[in-house]
Amino acid sequence: MTVLGGIVMAAGLALSVLSAFGVWRFPTAIARMHAATKSASLGLSLVVLGAGIAASSPGIAGIGALTTALLFLTAPISGHLLGRASYLTGTEQYRFDALEGAETSPLEVEPSGSTDFSITRWLGLILVWVLLWRDFSIGSFLGGAAVTFAIELTRRSVASPRPVRLGALARFAVYYLAALIRTNARVAWEVATPLQDDIDEAIVGILLTVESPQAALLVANAVTFTPGTLTIELSGDPLTLYAHVLHFEGEARLQSEINRLEKLADAVFARR
Amino acid sequence: MCLPCWGETDVDTFVTVTQITLGLAALLAVARAIKGPAIVDRIVAVDLILLLLAAGVGAEAARAGSEVYSAIAIVVALIAFVGTVLVARFVEWRDVE
Repeated sequence: MTVLGGIVMAAGLALSVLSAFGVWRFPTAIARMHAATKSASLGLSLVVLGAGIAASSPGIAGIGALTTALLFLTAPISGHLLGRASYLTGTEQYRFDALEGAETSPLEVEPSGSTDFSITRWLGLILVWVLLWRDFSIGSFLGGAAVTFAIELTRRSVASPRPVRLGALARFAVYYLAALIRTNARVAWEVATPLQDDIDEAIVGILLTVESPQAALLVANAVTFTPGTLTIELSGDPLTLYAHVLHFEGEARLQSEINRLEKLADAVFARR
Repeated sequence: MCLPCWGETDVDTFVTVTQITLGLAALLAVARAIKGPAIVDRIVAVDLILLLLAAGVGAEAARAGSEVYSAIAIVVALIAFVGTVLVARFVEWRDVE
């Protein structure tokens, strides 16, 4: 176990170092974000997961898994916000810029009037709480119930919630993981070769045809982990995703990748 | 040192080497934070420094066998995220509106 953990940790270390080299070497601000969001998050995840395997400790590995889940949720968000801030405040001129002069509007999600009580979500949240404390007393369960109640109170529920299909979610996760590995290999390649020689940045706009805002969110996050692209804006009406690409090869290439993602994301949220 | 049978001291050395390497990588990020040029470059660099710090603390869990270090790592990663989002929003608000 120790050796396996060591190998996983070493891979994480390599990705972390790669990301630091990218942030140092890449020529423009958004290019540096590509290195920071894609490689640093996977690097940290592998280090904490590897530590759990190396110590043969389910507790450490569990918190490591939690860290990993958290990072894959937060990394695209910080990449998105930083990318947008950089685009709006920067003076960069692109050969192709779909956002220039484009009207953007925030993606509106209708709040629902009714509550959508779900017993599985309640039990799941309580279980997470109890597992985190690893204390199976009644008090621990009650504490979990209280925290779950607080989460449910502050959570904004969405009109016509769609049940999540677990099988489709697993398929999406597999695709996401494969994209993550491809994208990190790409960052490694960019760091190893002088990027400034063949960089051809562009802002590409792609119309999304997904059925729900939830699916649009999944697609936007996954595009950040697609090689060479970083989501910088998701505009509401019409639903358009703007992404920054390192090597512009026309919009058609990204379009086919996004079509595949849209199908996978739509399958996750079942139709009512 | 035989590879399939790592002992206590090998884990100890491995974790130390990992942490030193992460520290050296953080120096590159520090250099970027100083050089800039734009404020977003500095945010990216500071975010990365925090993530590297979290990795260093998380690696310590392998040596100590204690979950406390993993918990610290998750908190540092969270702080990095919240800080980055906050400053990114601030920069946008200050320069655009």
